Amino acid sequence: MTPQEWGLYEYIFNGVAALLTLCIFSFLYKDNPFYKFAERLVAGVATGYFTMLLFWTNFMDKVYDPLKAGQWWYIFPAVLGVMMWTRFSKKWAWVSRYSIAFYIGIGSGVSITVYLYTYLFKQLQATIGFPITMDIAGLNQFLVIIAVLSALVYFFFSTPHKGALGFVSKIGIYVIMICFGAGFGLTVMGRVALLVNRVIFLKGYLIQLFGG
Amino acid sequence: MNIFQKMMQIDRRWVYLAIGLAVIIPSIKSFDVPVTVSPEVKRIYDFVDSLQAGDYVFICVDYDPSSMAELNPMAVAIVNQAFVKDLKAIFVTLSQFGPGLVEQITSQLAANHNKINGVDYAFLGYRPYPAITILAMGVDFSVPFPQDYYGTPLDSLPVMNGIKNFDDVKGVIEITSGNTADFWLIYGNGRYGFPLAIGITGVMSANYYQYLSSGQLFGIIPGVKGAAEYEELVGFPGEGKAQMAYQVIAHSVIIIFIIISNVAYFATRKRKAGLEGGNQ
Amino acid sequence: MKKSGFKFLVVLAVSIWLTPFASFAEVISADSAFQSFPPMPIIVTVSDMPNDPGGALIVEWSIPDADSLTLASMNVYQISRSSNPDSEFESITSLVAGSTRYEDSGLEDGKNYYYRIIAFDNDNRLAEGTGGPGVPSGQWFNTGRIPILIMVVLFATTAIGFIVSAKKGYKFYVRPIAGIRAVDDAIGRATEMGRPILYVPGLGTASEVATIAAFTILGRVARKVAEYNTRVIVPNYDPVVMAVCQEVVKGAYTAAGKPDMYDANDVYFVTQDQFPYTAAVNGVMLRQKPATNFYMGMFYAESLVLAETGFISGSIQIAGTDQLVQIPFFVSVCDFVLMGEELYAASAYLSQEPQQLGTLKAQDWGKVLVVVLIIVGMIFSTFGWESFAAWFDVG
Repeated sequence: MTPQEWGLYEYIFNGVAALLTLCIFSFLYKDNPFYKFAERLVAGVATGYFTMLLFWTNFMDKVYDPLKAGQWWYIFPAVLGVMMWTRFSKKWAWVSRYSIAFYIGIGSGVSITVYLYTYLFKQLQATIGFPITMDIAGLNQFLVIIAVLSALVYFFFSTPHKGALGFVSKIGIYVIMICFGAGFGLTVMGRVALLVNRVIFLKGYLIQLFGG
Repeated sequence: MNIFQKMMQIDRRWVYLAIGLAVIIPSIKSFDVPVTVSPEVKRIYDFVDSLQAGDYVFICVDYDPSSMAELNPMAVAIVNQAFVKDLKAIFVTLSQFGPGLVEQITSQLAANHNKINGVDYAFLGYRPYPAITILAMGVDFSVPFPQDYYGTPLDSLPVMNGIKNFDDVKGVIEITSGNTADFWLIYGNGRYGFPLAIGITGVMSANYYQYLSSGQLFGIIPGVKGAAEYEELVGFPGEGKAQMAYQVIAHSVIIIFIIISNVAYFATRKRKAGLEGGNQ
Repeated sequence: MKKSGFKFLVVLAVSIWLTPFASFAEVISADSAFQSFPPMPIIVTVSDMPNDPGGALIVEWSIPDADSLTLASMNVYQISRSSNPDSEFESITSLVAGSTRYEDSGLEDGKNYYYRIIAFDNDNRLAEGTGGPGVPSGQWFNTGRIPILIMVVLFATTAIGFIVSAKKGYKFYVRPIAGIRAVDDAIGRATEMGRPILYVPGLGTASEVATIAAFTILGRVARKVAEYNTRVIVPNYDPVVMAVCQEVVKGAYTAAGKPDMYDANDVYFVTQDQFPYTAAVNGVMLRQKPATNFYMGMFYAESLVLAETGFISGSIQIAGTDQLVQIPFFVSVCDFVLMGEELYAASAYLSQEPQQLGTLKAQDWGKVLVVVLIIVGMIFSTFGWESFAAWFDVG
């Protein structure tokens, strides 16, 4: 890494970023005022940023500008949105139920078919669409089917898991745990990547500060 | 207290220190790690590579600064490839922190490749509620995005001439650290049937291979390793490949700790069972 | 006389034989130097795209008079379109040899469209045909997704049947789940230690199933907490979820006969940003040192951070989420974990609400159906009967 051309602005704000990174890392030793300061700062900044973003992208772009442009029909969803706020009033909370009913009704109607298509039909087709053959691909397919069936049995709640059902359920939980292990391993990679990114940033700042 | 019991009671701060050192040491003395490309990453590269100059690709950047380490390298690699091939790119973000990231990537890479906003690419901006936004974009991009991120009406952008919805793009590449991948699968590919690939964090990867098998996705870039593979293919080494040395050392340390703790766990459990048997 | 007659016959025969070539020569001289024969006819059919929202047509063609050699020599099909067969056709695309179908989109519903297809062998126009009119229109019903409709009707009927049975008082069996039994013990532990209970309802919205399950379990926890005079702290990510949690906790305290014990400051909104919310909840864990932590609902990347901090502060931890990606982290750190559907089952078991129990039963029978379909499908596919799997290939 070689130092780049930085102005005072870059030194100050990157320095603040480096300092806040170290404040958060200090939590690894124990809770302390530096961590608390950084925690509250990030909560406040994120809330403020998100509030303004929501105002400009939701209210201004989707309510104010269309109404100003003469698209009067936008008043209906705007009214439904305002009705949702009545939820916080004990006297008027019943008004919000109409907005919620509208929202859940449309949401359910749109999502039921596509959810079934995505999560059930396509997966069923992929599971049963390949024959069991006497080669590696066939063995793989057989193992996939065993894993799917045993995991489904594990999540069966209507009968106690005893006897043959209990045995299959046990295979199911082992399959699920193997899957979790794979996910955990990949997560370690992800978390290490976040740490590495911060270390590279801190190293870059030190090089910049002390000239490399 | 024997050694196994001591191993079970190691203060976690020593583990943190060991991981910290494992990450700091490669920053002092780095080394190259050979990267082998997996088929699911290559499929995305081949897809982009097969497109002709002037073809449109839709890139959705749905991550925030907390996932930048894993996802920024793959986003940069994909955009580099698209610009080298003179593809037209449409960018959108469904994450509230996405706008700043997209602007950073596009402005920097556009300058490198002499690409002009509005002519060679367009950044439509951010909208919340991914499901609704994706469904609306499937009808017409200008419904959720009447103007681009910079306030220019969509119909006055040369790059958006004749581009109405997903039928006019060759495919969608979604880069995300959250559940927007599910929304693209359900409401995008499930509803409109366009080719979809995703770049995701490592933690999410195990969950999405089933969609690769079923054909709902044509490719996956899993985490920073996937990003390194994509950089290898594209020929623009970046942060992904740079991280591989750190990953190797850190993973080795973690594996050592896992072995130590499991050996200690089973040894102490065996000893405890033995003591209880004796007492009876 | 005989010799002149014979000569006349020879000349006549040669003239007759040469006549086609003469007319052919006229063609050559009058027309393009490259075009030797008139183009073969292409049969073009134009039809509306089925099961679509409109604006699309399917153009298909065949060249019945062409033999395989001629077809092989054709290297490009040029497709043009017009709304009037007598006016000029606009070229829209070119397709490689071997194509017999093209899907045109972005059209206007209700309008007539005609298509002309020309097959070229380099510059030679080998075949040509015009077809139409095709009129794009949208369909109200996607017949390709009838299997999905059948599944929805089947599931809905089953769920309604079970819900009605539950409302009539039929007792459904739900197998014991370890995490549920631990809830009461964990609350008792908190009371003995004189420390509060932390309940984190996740990062979902009030409309998500996992969050609804979290409300139900919170109701159970809050009732026990009220009976034992213990405090429950509920930091919230979503304002609407906060409102519901406040109602749930307040109702629980009222039902226990201790409405004065309810403190609205204990059920509060933090922030609607993931990691700042996590940082704030971590702070609560480290400062207030709750005896028991409940993580119920939808969690994302913050799950491990929360669980690890709770472990450091020495709390008993019970988690439940349907986010499969996060379950490994809860499993490795927490004392009890409700995985995926176990969270819904716990909610149904604790609440004994007919809707939840009936839906759970319907889901169970749905799983039985899926198991049967997989076994049958596996057998059919292995024996080469692919029509069964094809039924699931909905459009």
